[in-house]
Amino acid sequence: MQNAKDTFYIALRSRLASVNPARTMTLRGVTRPAILVSEAEAPMAQPLLDAFALSWTGLEADVQLPAILAQMTCEIQYATAGTKANAGLDRGRTLEEMDCEVFHLLYPYSTQKMNYTTTPATPMETFVFWSEPEFGPAVALRDGLSRTVKVTVFAFQEQGEA
Amino acid sequence: MADLSTQNPNGLAQRVATALLRAGGGTTACLQMPPLAGDSTDAGQIGLNAPGFLSLPLAPAVFRRARAAMQEGKLPKYELLVSADAVATQVTQLQLGSAQALFAMASGIVVAGKLFLIESVSASESQGQAYLYRLLLQDGCGEWPL
Repeated sequence: MQNAKDTFYIALRSRLASVNPARTMTLRGVTRPAILVSEAEAPMAQPLLDAFALSWTGLEADVQLPAILAQMTCEIQYATAGTKANAGLDRGRTLEEMDCEVFHLLYPYSTQKMNYTTTPATPMETFVFWSEPEFGPAVALRDGLSRTVKVTVFAFQEQGEA
Repeated sequence: MADLSTQNPNGLAQRVATALLRAGGGTTACLQMPPLAGDSTDAGQIGLNAPGFLSLPLAPAVFRRARAAMQEGKLPKYELLVSADAVATQVTQLQLGSAQALFAMASGIVVAGKLFLIESVSASESQGQAYLYRLLLQDGCGEWPL
């Protein structure tokens, strides 16, 4: 399942780099597309603004199939306080911009599963695929807005996969 | 209206704060900082590579429990008072713009071998210059000694 989670993140990160190359962040001394896996970064007291944070929550497994099908829930959280130029009064517009980017990040709804524990990463036999996004309500966060999008990610467990 | 009176900072408040912290049982706290040359590989972003955090000592500092945990399930909070001189030294060494940038980069802080998360940072100032930083901390879950 870890390979599916890694593949999903790297796929979204690559897509973000082409959808909006300007959306970057500097984290742990590296400037990179503004998307991160919460469980692979240091905990933060405040959410990082104008960045997408992936959290893995639910997990189910369908064992009736020839190979185990894992269903994992990924929550994509993002928050914005608008731009400095508009004194934050455009936070609704910037949130909408991020909503639109989520659509582009998730489509198409599949990608080849990769094993990132090897160098270079090696392609695996199956695909990782996911559901359409379920957008949660926009939540006011002091002078900002945040939203959580839920996606169910599916992946078959391959032979010998941890 | 702006206060246009002349103020000549002479570092007195900073020296007093440092002396008081030292006299009050001054200890050393270590900021966990990401390495200057970050890990830009895929493995570094998915939790495969060790982050290679640097340990940046801040001393003198005083560590104490901020308030009792009054609600079940709520973790106790701690506060760390750090000399502004110590912070300024590290800001200069890392060529950062401000102390806030230093604390924002830190992934946590180690006191007596235990990791704490930084919840907020505030500064006490005299004549426009910080002489003491107060960090509100929360227990980290990891029990490994650092």
